[in-house]
Amino acid sequence: MDNIRNFCIIAHIDHGKSTLADRILELTGVLHTTANAQVLDSMALERERGITIKAKSVRMPYQSRSGQSYILNLIDTPGHVDFNYEVSRSLKACEGALLLVDAAQGVEAQTIANAYLAIDAGLEIIPVINKIDLPNAMIDECRLQLEDMLGLPAKDALLISAKDGTGVPNLLEAIVSRLPSPRGGVDEPLRCLIFDSYYDSYRGVIAHIRLFSGSLRRGDRIMIKSTSKVCEVDEVGYFLPQITPSDKLMAGEVGYVAATIRKAGDIHVGDCIISPDRPETAAIPGFRRSQPMVFCGIYPINSSDYSKLAAALEKFQLNDSSIVYEKESSAALGHGYRLGFLGMLHMEITLERLKREYGQELISTMPSVIYKVVTTRGETLMIDNPSRFPTAAYIDHIEEPIIRARIIVPNAFVGPCMELSESRRGTLVSMEHLDTRRALLTYDFPLAETVTGYYDKLKSVSRGYASMDYDLAGYRSSDLVKVDVLVKENQVDALSFITVRDSAIPKGRALIHKLRKLIPRHLFEIPLQAAIGGKVIARENIVPLRKDVLSKCYGGDITRKRKLLEKQKEGKKRMKMVGSVEVPQEAFMLLLKMEE
Amino acid sequence: MRGLYVHVPFCARKCSYCDFYSLPARLDLLEAYVQAVVHESHRYGGLSFQTLYLGGGTPSLLGPGHLRELVGGIGKSVDLSELIESTIEVNPESATGALLEAAREAGINRVSIGVQSLSDYELQGVGRIHTAAQAVEAIILASRLGFKSVSADLIIGLPGQTWSALHRTLGTLVGAGIEHVSLYCLSLEKGTPLEKSPPLDLPSDDTQAQLFEQARSFLLGHGFIHYEISNFALKGYECLHNLNYWRGGEYVGLGPAAASHLYGRRFRNRADLDAYIDRPGYLTEDVEELDVRDKASEEAMLRLRLLVEGLDAGELAAKFGRDNIEPLADRLERMAHDGLLVFDGLRYRLAPSRVLTSNPIFAEVL
Repeated sequence: MDNIRNFCIIAHIDHGKSTLADRILELTGVLHTTANAQVLDSMALERERGITIKAKSVRMPYQSRSGQSYILNLIDTPGHVDFNYEVSRSLKACEGALLLVDAAQGVEAQTIANAYLAIDAGLEIIPVINKIDLPNAMIDECRLQLEDMLGLPAKDALLISAKDGTGVPNLLEAIVSRLPSPRGGVDEPLRCLIFDSYYDSYRGVIAHIRLFSGSLRRGDRIMIKSTSKVCEVDEVGYFLPQITPSDKLMAGEVGYVAATIRKAGDIHVGDCIISPDRPETAAIPGFRRSQPMVFCGIYPINSSDYSKLAAALEKFQLNDSSIVYEKESSAALGHGYRLGFLGMLHMEITLERLKREYGQELISTMPSVIYKVVTTRGETLMIDNPSRFPTAAYIDHIEEPIIRARIIVPNAFVGPCMELSESRRGTLVSMEHLDTRRALLTYDFPLAETVTGYYDKLKSVSRGYASMDYDLAGYRSSDLVKVDVLVKENQVDALSFITVRDSAIPKGRALIHKLRKLIPRHLFEIPLQAAIGGKVIARENIVPLRKDVLSKCYGGDITRKRKLLEKQKEGKKRMKMVGSVEVPQEAFMLLLKMEE
Repeated sequence: MRGLYVHVPFCARKCSYCDFYSLPARLDLLEAYVQAVVHESHRYGGLSFQTLYLGGGTPSLLGPGHLRELVGGIGKSVDLSELIESTIEVNPESATGALLEAAREAGINRVSIGVQSLSDYELQGVGRIHTAAQAVEAIILASRLGFKSVSADLIIGLPGQTWSALHRTLGTLVGAGIEHVSLYCLSLEKGTPLEKSPPLDLPSDDTQAQLFEQARSFLLGHGFIHYEISNFALKGYECLHNLNYWRGGEYVGLGPAAASHLYGRRFRNRADLDAYIDRPGYLTEDVEELDVRDKASEEAMLRLRLLVEGLDAGELAAKFGRDNIEPLADRLERMAHDGLLVFDGLRYRLAPSRVLTSNPIFAEVL
């Protein structure tokens, strides 16, 4: 066990985490070529977005300069603000962390957030300054920031270029010399942490685990701590990085277990595996079920595809148990599902993957947060769907979730960032100058304001320089109203939205105006209205279509004519019927687009 | 009933709205073209045709000599003895007495004149090279030479077009004794100069619709029958060749870019004059043989364009088999129920109010 080092790399997005992981894998001989670079980012979509969504681990052999043999377990961590809890679980599996900072960018919001998580988890931290080959590398400034902002000893920082490999051999030496080995006895009762899981069609649910004590073999009976569910171990092994079975896993090791677990929902990241003979074994502190924060409805374009969607979701959840879903029906959109996500990015990625991997055409509705609605009778309702809001007469007050966001931004962009944040109902908590260049703004925001493109907007007003991280900071009472949209006198529940009273009229007007441009002209007039309760706050009309005809003869080229009509028919298939009106699917995301 | 179409891909100048296959300034190839068409016609030797239609492009650019050569040459390989109707499209500026006389001698009994408008302002706006006066002369000339039927093509929605100008145009045409009028709505076809830089006074779709309705009322008031979406005729003067298209009939297209429908298969010659002259009729494209259900739907869609004749559901069932048209029959029934079509117990027809918004209906039929 003395020869094991369990570590992770924590960094702000794009600071070179995946590239460094590749170099480490190459130096330890696990990866022979750079051809399939970024092994840890296996999902194509992740690569596209340059982020790792779900944690994975790789076991690597390493011989130090002193001739000693080691086992290095690199545990990957998800790199986005929505996945704080998942990051904290991955950190729990490690004794040490490499805190990677881009020499040209310096410490960013996620660097700080992740460093705090690592410090909280009691990890030994090795600060690493990456990209020192860049002409605009600011090594000294980075050292200062590490010291000032994170209290990490700057002299200990390693200088590397993950891209060309400079300094990486020294980094490996530092991992074995500076990071502690795991502790915990093989003879003690089994206790291991589940830090990730995925679904394998042969083995069922595969749990990534870290053993703190005891050992685990095929045939062992195990118990899931939080549910007391007992099952039998089918297989244990390591990721090298390909999945490789072994005889057993011992205390201190990192690997996987496949047991008779068929449903992803049966295990949760952060949960603990123990022996059913020793049910009193303590859980790993900090476990909680992941809590969805952002919700949206998804609907098949054709109602007949509903069962296909159900199957796709079920399969999808096997790989990502942080997604929750339940049946939902909408008067406008028919039968669908309401999905809950950890955050906005998680939502975007999931919807994209659903569409891509399962070939589903989907309508997704405007994202919503969970509102706490206190009724006049004193009940508290948690409502994640605007269409389920009680009528105004029954509402005493509404509370909405608040986040505390930390935004790091160069001084030059402090103004625009504050302006943006205030326009999104942010309240400034504090502003600190980190150094001569940058400021740290702490804001409290309604979460609802950030689900509509706040992060993208922040990036754009700061020309990409601002970085952000957030925590949930409870609920706060707000003057909110529900705005309904009526298309040809039919209320379209999927277009209802919640907003602060002051912006209801401008938002309602803007939405109606956009809808008028988006919905194609029909053969009849279509009145569009926005209303609060029974009171109409905006109205426009779509005038009837008067001409849609193929009049030319085309010299008997009927095929061309038919193809034009078929194209028109295809276009219609992509529309959702709301009463007698064909509404393009983009309509249901219009509000989001408007905010962006 | 079988039709023979000849595509004459020559133009003196390309009009700004035109996306048909036509080539300005290639008149040096006329002779080679005529020989190639005659050559291609041998492929259909033995077939007999009841209608002939020379379309374009500008068939009147053939001139009397090439016209004689073309019709004569084709007549030697295919059977034209049963021809009932034989049409030539002409442009006013090249519809000379000599050309029209040659046409009469070649057995052509119908002239379709590309009038487009009788407003010089509108004509110049889209690059037409003739005047309104030339168009009127051509009509008078054609009538005097004893063609059975004279037709005029008009465009609805030309830049700057107003109802008073269109009204004058129609009045003059009717006064000149025209028997047939085709009203085509101007559309901005991709890649045409008109699409690339549409003039400011281009009428909107709504205006076009209004102009069309006004023109339709005018023509109906003067005894014309609106027998197809774009076509009006005095009784007995409907264009048989085009009717055959809408009835799902067979036809052969000769010349580059010409479309054919033969033995259930649709295909089109490649739009390439040089290649055509090189190997006439060898380069076919968009060959399409629909399965029986799609074929039935296609024919239903085409027949619904015939506003008076409509679609005889029983006839369709007899032709394609009752089982094969069942889903189609259901669709038609539903559309009649929804008021998109009118059913009189025997035939389905497009509701008159839906003529200008028929595309969604046809899309539904397919």
